[in-house]
Amino acid sequence: MALRIANLLGPRLLNEPLVALTVSRSHDQFVRHRHTKHWNPKWKTLRRQKVMRVKLPNFQEKPEDLSEEEIRSRLKEQGILPPRPWNEKPFFLSCTGGIFEAYVPPEGDGKISPIQVQGAKQKLQYLEKKSRTMMAIRKIKSFEEEFDTATFCKEAEDIYVKMHDLMAKRDLENMTDYVTERAYPEVIHNIENKTIHWKLIKNIELPRVVHARCTDVITKENIFGQTTVRFHTQQMLAVYDRFGRLMHGSEIIAKDVLEYVVFEKHLANLYGKWRVHGKIIPDWLPPKEPSLITYLKPTEETSTTETAVTKTSPDTEQEIPKESNT
Amino acid sequence: MTLFRTRPLLKLVSQYQSAVVLPAATKIHTSAFLQAWKPEDHEPQKFLEYNKKIYPPQSPDEAPRPAFVCHQRSNIKYSPWKMWYIACLVRGMTVDEAIKQLKFVLMKGAKDVRETIEEARDLAVKEHNVEFASNLWVAESFVGKGHVVKGIRRHGRARFGRVEYFHCHYFVRLEEGKPPKHYYQHHPKEPHQQLEDWLQQMRKRKITNSI
Repeated sequence: MALRIANLLGPRLLNEPLVALTVSRSHDQFVRHRHTKHWNPKWKTLRRQKVMRVKLPNFQEKPEDLSEEEIRSRLKEQGILPPRPWNEKPFFLSCTGGIFEAYVPPEGDGKISPIQVQGAKQKLQYLEKKSRTMMAIRKIKSFEEEFDTATFCKEAEDIYVKMHDLMAKRDLENMTDYVTERAYPEVIHNIENKTIHWKLIKNIELPRVVHARCTDVITKENIFGQTTVRFHTQQMLAVYDRFGRLMHGSEIIAKDVLEYVVFEKHLANLYGKWRVHGKIIPDWLPPKEPSLITYLKPTEETSTTETAVTKTSPDTEQEIPKESNT
Repeated sequence: MTLFRTRPLLKLVSQYQSAVVLPAATKIHTSAFLQAWKPEDHEPQKFLEYNKKIYPPQSPDEAPRPAFVCHQRSNIKYSPWKMWYIACLVRGMTVDEAIKQLKFVLMKGAKDVRETIEEARDLAVKEHNVEFASNLWVAESFVGKGHVVKGIRRHGRARFGRVEYFHCHYFVRLEEGKPPKHYYQHHPKEPHQQLEDWLQQMRKRKITNSI
């Protein structure tokens, strides 16, 4: 009977959208009734009182999201005193904060002809600077009697190699024996989660001291010495990511590297050491080679659109501050 | 009965630099007192340690090792048993698919799972040398039991019951590459495999007392 009615009504119901809608709605609503509650709402408050209220901690709350007023009230609630402001600025007396009277590497490695105006100017400046360098070296000799540029270059090379080896080994403990506190963050920047293979293959030209300066800090006797050493070497560099995949460079390709490394020593200190203080990056440096992978260009605060571009100055290159290809 | 998170509070205490600090207040040595506030929100430590492992370099002829990133969100106010269903749902999916699917899950925990996966995806690109964010799949997705707050509930005849307020941890590991066809080891067999198995079974039969 019911089947027959359904058969008769079925096509008709489908044709009429209104009826079909009402039918489907009646099926949608499932109402669950609780039978454990008393029907009279007057017991509601008593039921609620049966459960002791617990203030649950909010684990997802971040301290930086709280406003100052909120923090104040929280501290007051728990009876904690606001802490003493800790406005201390750390600074080191064992090294200077920068490179003073930095050496300006001549363009094209000083091969420009002295007949040209630019070339003549460079030659003149070079002579002028050379005399000051000689004076500075004399000053260094007054503190360090056996200082000799030839032997110092060998020492500088050792320091240079040792520094790179320590960087590759990620040995931060002994790093400050070869790197000043100023250069330290630059050296260790971006070396985490990576494997660095670095090797100095040979010297194309022998390292030489191109520049030297002395300065006093605070008192007259407290003298620091800085020397700039020109390295023209052949090096191998390969950077691997955390999973051992090549990120930058190559194990088999040797590259010619010309760089001007600044070494510093606290001359007034009896136990002072020559350490790597920085590197001079000339303006005429050729552009860096692009990295192997693409990445999203970090956008400014103002613009919201992100565009995918190929890398031109990758992070991986910045992490090795001691390479400039010639 | 009130419970506080003390560790973040101490964090913010260290950030809070009030200009007005009483001179007497600075003399009070409060560090021991602050130490007495034992942080109760222990976060799982071991899972994130996998992110710190550095693998040895590979030679050029080897297949590149797929990158992975582990990420977690701890102490989510949600039942670990309910969260398990959401965690199972996204296993073996690509990241984009998982995020898309989770947007349609009406359970409360789905929001946290989705956010964790999104965070992990961003982390992979930012810190773990993954080139394309969409070239990741959910290799592991599981739930841990977090902090449990115990409350009390009154019963009749001077008795009481315990109410437990559960929190859960959600862990996810994203791996670079395409997801495998079958995530689980024991998956339903293909029709031709079933037929082959059946044929083998039939041929292996031994008729007893026969030649």
